[in-house]
Amino acid sequence: MIAPLFIDGLLRDWFFGDRAYSDTSAYSDDLYMFIFWVCAFVFIGLNAFYVLCLVKFRRKPGVPQQRSSSHSTTLEITWTVLPTILLVVFFFRGFWGYLDKVVVEAQAEQLDLEAYKWGWEMTYPNGAVSLVSDRIDPGQLNEYPIFVVPEDWPVQLRMTSRDVIHSFWIPDLRQKFDVFPNRYTSYQFRMDPLEEEDRARANDAFPSGYRDHTLFCAEYCGDSHSEMAAIIRVASREDYANWVVTGGVELDKLTPVEAGAILYTVKGCAQCHSVDGSDNTGPTWRNAFGYERQFSNAPAGIVDDNYIRESILVPGAKVAEGYPNQMPSYQGKVNDFELNALIAYIRSLSDRAPTSLIDEVQGEPESTEEEPQASLNRPDTDDNT
Amino acid sequence: MATIDPASNERPALAKREPLWKTYKHGHHWPDAEAEFDAAKIGMWLFLSTEILLFAGMFCAYAIFRMKYPEAFVNGSHYLDWRFGAINTAVLLGSSFTAAYCVRNAQLNNQLWLKINLAITFLAGAAFLAIKFIFEYGPKWADGKRPGELFSYPFAENAHEPIWWGVYYGATGLHASHVIIGMGLFVWVFINASRGKYGPKHYTLVENVALYWHLVDLIWIFLFPLLYLIH
Amino acid sequence: MTTIDSQTQGLEHEHHDHHHDEGSYLTPRGGFWATIWDWMTTVDHKKIGVMYLFAILFMFFLGGVAALMVRLELLDPVRQTAEGVVTGQMFNWYGDNVAANNNLYNRFFTLHGAIMTFMVIVPSVPASLGNFLLPIMLGAKDVAFPKLNLFSWYIYFFGSIFAVASIIGGGVDTGWTFYTPYSTTTDADHWRVVIMVLGVFVLGFSSILTGLNFIVTVHKLRAPGMGWFDMPLLVWTLYASAIIQVLATPVIGVTTLLLILERTMGIGVFDPALGGDPVLYQHFFWFYSHPVVYIMILPGMGLISDIISVHARKKIFGYKSMAFASLGITAVSFIVWGHHMFTSEGELAATVFSALTFLVAIPTAIKVFNWTATLWKGSIAVNTPMCYALSFLFLFTIGGLTGMPLGALATDLHLHDSYFVVAHFHYVMMGGTIIAFIGAIHHWWPKMFGKMYSEFWGITGCVLVFIGFNVTFFTQFLMGTRGMPRRYATYVDEYEIWHEISTYGSWILAIGLFIHAGNFFWSLVFGRQAPPNPWGGLSMEWETESPPVLHNFHHDPVATHGPYDFDDVQPPHTDPEEFPLPEPLPGGAKPH
Ligand code: HEA
Ligand code: HEA
Ligand code: CUA
Ligand SMILES: [Cu+2]
Repeated sequence: MIAPLFIDGLLRDWFFGDRAYSDTSAYSDDLYMFIFWVCAFVFIGLNAFYVLCLVKFRRKPGVPQQRSSSHSTTLEITWTVLPTILLVVFFFRGFWGYLDKVVVEAQAEQLDLEAYKWGWEMTYPNGAVSLVSDRIDPGQLNEYPIFVVPEDWPVQLRMTSRDVIHSFWIPDLRQKFDVFPNRYTSYQFRMDPLEEEDRARANDAFPSGYRDHTLFCAEYCGDSHSEMAAIIRVASREDYANWVVTGGVELDKLTPVEAGAILYTVKGCAQCHSVDGSDNTGPTWRNAFGYERQFSNAPAGIVDDNYIRESILVPGAKVAEGYPNQMPSYQGKVNDFELNALIAYIRSLSDRAPTSLIDEVQGEPESTEEEPQASLNRPDTDDNT
Repeated sequence: MATIDPASNERPALAKREPLWKTYKHGHHWPDAEAEFDAAKIGMWLFLSTEILLFAGMFCAYAIFRMKYPEAFVNGSHYLDWRFGAINTAVLLGSSFTAAYCVRNAQLNNQLWLKINLAITFLAGAAFLAIKFIFEYGPKWADGKRPGELFSYPFAENAHEPIWWGVYYGATGLHASHVIIGMGLFVWVFINASRGKYGPKHYTLVENVALYWHLVDLIWIFLFPLLYLIH
Repeated sequence: MTTIDSQTQGLEHEHHDHHHDEGSYLTPRGGFWATIWDWMTTVDHKKIGVMYLFAILFMFFLGGVAALMVRLELLDPVRQTAEGVVTGQMFNWYGDNVAANNNLYNRFFTLHGAIMTFMVIVPSVPASLGNFLLPIMLGAKDVAFPKLNLFSWYIYFFGSIFAVASIIGGGVDTGWTFYTPYSTTTDADHWRVVIMVLGVFVLGFSSILTGLNFIVTVHKLRAPGMGWFDMPLLVWTLYASAIIQVLATPVIGVTTLLLILERTMGIGVFDPALGGDPVLYQHFFWFYSHPVVYIMILPGMGLISDIISVHARKKIFGYKSMAFASLGITAVSFIVWGHHMFTSEGELAATVFSALTFLVAIPTAIKVFNWTATLWKGSIAVNTPMCYALSFLFLFTIGGLTGMPLGALATDLHLHDSYFVVAHFHYVMMGGTIIAFIGAIHHWWPKMFGKMYSEFWGITGCVLVFIGFNVTFFTQFLMGTRGMPRRYATYVDEYEIWHEISTYGSWILAIGLFIHAGNFFWSLVFGRQAPPNPWGGLSMEWETESPPVLHNFHHDPVATHGPYDFDDVQPPHTDPEEFPLPEPLPGGAKPH
């Protein structure tokens, strides 16, 4: 009894790398292993039989072949009926596990998730937007947002997309659902409680510790489909609640430049515009403001507040030369406050940005060298790098 | 001639002015002309079934969007004038009749009436298209009653009317393209018929083209009530 | 079934009553240009089959090169060095702009998937081997509609040109599934996507016409004496898949048409912004593209039945259940499409489709067990076709069995759109159909071209392909269950080791395939003259010469025995010393 269980455990590690982190996902792992064992049994049986035949009945000159039967109703009925029974079992277990994954528990915490090319944005029940991010890919090339959810508590995501179809997949939950434009779909789960090692990660923002899971976009959505990841951070219920109130930054408490820097990642600008002068799908924001720009469909002009505003709302009006007319319109997707913040941020990135008398008097000119807010909202930087 | 090509049916030099249908030789791989004719008919029926499935996709789209946006579809059908639809139905039904007569006349060796019926059927197809384009597509398009993104009708009563027009143009457009193909086929058959290719012993193509025309007719008989009549 | 003109058709026999100068179908007619013209306008099913064969192998080569590029990119995830330089990205035409480089990757896998499905595997067996063999196996002189057959070849040719044109124009980055609204918005100011989709539309006609031709041929052109249950199983499976070709392909026709209208005029039926429904597109697409996977595998199954039976020299086990299982698969194939959409369709639909999906496994199980039982007490020759048949049994069973956790709802929510799916479908498509196809090319090569290939290199190639294939794709199951999504140009570190192994495997695989290509080429030039029946087969194609004469047989054939009566009939043109009949059972009892 022990040996098979041991092998089962080994194989689970091999297949999944990590355990499943909710009851429903543990169920589907069990189902997977059940199907695996049935299939392995059939498969090994069949192949043993092939080997046997190859050894016994290989054609050799001079060795005569025996006649044999080529039909047997009993056999044929057996190998029709037996698999059928197994298949019925597969179906029902799969169905039950599915129900657990789609039925929403009462009292579930409702979060709003919006997908866009190429990122995710989470809105918490109090209106806070998840803004903290981290770099997890091998090259540390991209920033990924961090979403905080409570441990051992039902959570329901109401998902929708701004552009094309995406799919929300947390491999550790063994579950994904597609995200559509103009429509809501839902994703629910209850994360396993934190464990000893998770509690050991305690820090200021998460005094009882936390645990991270990666999430991927699983429906092909274009160039940065493979960069469309994020982190789901499981925290204790109190930490979750506190964090959403305080840590999940409220934009209107920041200066416009700070808010703009955050919106830069949240709204997806970062996917196409760099802030360090490097080239990307769209022109960089570094030293854009105040400089002259060539357009492919309009006479050249200076990059000023009105141009930036227009480019965000009606991107096709003036297209920077050498770049495709690919940017989606943000009309209706940013409000005035956000627009101002973004413009302020773009200004702050240019060495031609106007300086303020206040700064001059106080002798503290706004720094353009550092990326503003790079670590402001990362209470946990040291834990993760 | 030493070389043998399976394609070429070597025809002996013909006695003067024998009609072509009398000297028709079936394909070398068939035991007799009858088997060949049967096969051609089975093949045609199979092809018609693929056509039906092609349109089934359109009908599916119609059903689904009708369920989703019933008001838009009711509105939409009010924009259509059932009288044009009815006239076109009559035109097509009549031409189906003449198409059937083509076959009959080929079987009876009435060469003249065969050609007359072919011509009438062709003209009926042309009339159908003329009515469709001049009285229906043209004015509607000009009004801005266009599909999807092209929609620009200022007095639309329902937000989903562009979808209705998408389905309308998609379904009738696909049907119209079949009418055009059918007319092309009748031209072809007409040319062959003038060369005396069809007669009691050989009229496969006449039969199959007529079958095709019946299908085109049949599909219209479904489209007409779905688009024009049901509110 | 067979035979026929056995007294007159001795090999050395030169003089027949008529057609006495009728040479092999390969004999050139006239000079160089005349011969080219002859091939271009031929309505001979054998020549059309051969042209298809080479076109498909060429496309397979193109698709394979794209696959190697895909694997190459995935050798390394993307990294940034201290100096800010991006490394590890093979496609770095756009320097450090990772997103733009990813775009190139996306074009490669789309190209790979589209070529492999629409231009390689769907036409593969029916259009090439099927065209060549089906009429001969039935004892017919040609397919029912030879001109239609040539027409469908040209449609294939021009459809492929459309697809290739879109590649030359810069490629398409939609994935082979063309999901809306991505496919209607990407590359918005370009015609490439439209051209590619148009290519798919056109190719569909070719497939319909081939299927239609086969159905009528089977109904009307069986030789006298050949009943439905005297047909080789290859013919049964071609027939079953022809039904799918005729009934499912029109739906991809209307789908691609709507997609084109959507892109060119924005008619809105798939566009959520106008109230259209992208899930409707998915239903339309899979209504064709699920049945199409059985268009792919059914003929492969038929090939395997024939190969195993001939090389184990044993009557196929459970002939009738094999025939009916083929039709069963055809029937079920139409009602399971929704299993590709468990994460996007409603709960009720998902449940129904999951239940129906498992139905397909039953007829397939019957087939696998019948093949297995056929080996028992056979006389198993170990040669290239048989090695491929055994590889097929191994690989296809893995592919089919991994369809089970995909069909089960709870597990598919995890596995959907992960590398597990990628591994699953390569095991069934490459490990199933393509492996059967390559094995079958070896099996019928002597018949088609009258030359023997080198058995040594054949088996070597087979072993390399087998090893390389498993190394490439088994790792992908593990990546998939561990959470690696498909269609990713870059990935997190965790998966690096698996991707590396997979890429190395693809090189072994490629070497194996190139060996086969070399072997075939060598055989055409230097190969030994093939006897008319090198394997001791009983179906009708082994009656005639290698390569067959222009009209397939010298005399109209009559079927006098079944295709698998190895117990009772000495195969035509064979030496009883080399191919002895099996010994009777003790007591002279006859097995049933
Ligand atoms: C040749 C092509 C081929 C074949 C034959 C199959 C065969 C099967 N496929 Fe596969 N499939 C594909 C090609 C194919 N598939 C492709 C291309 C995709 C992905 C497309 C894309 O998204 O790009 C796909 C995706 C796919 C999915 C969607 C996955 C997802 O995206 O979420 C599913 C889900 O149900 C599935 C299921 C099955 C099943 C149940 C079978 C069954 O027919 C298998 C039956 C066979 C067996 C079961 C093995 C033999 C039986 C025995 C040995 C008997 C004993 C067995 C038991 C008791 C279990 N396939
Ligand atoms: C018939 C179908 C088929 C075949 C045979 C293959 C063959 C291969 N495929 Fe692919 N594949 C698909 C169909 C197929 N594929 C589909 C449909 C997709 C999905 C696309 C999408 O997501 O949109 C896909 C996707 C896909 C991916 C996933 C990409 C992603 O999701 O990011 C990968 C990655 O490894 C891959 C790899 C390979 C490899 C290494 C081979 C190798 O087996 C290739 C080996 C071939 C060669 C190396 C060429 C050598 C050939 C000759 C020399 C010709 C002469 C030969 C003879 C005479 C015998 N394929
Ligand atoms: Cu978003 Cu893939
Ligand atoms: Cu499927």
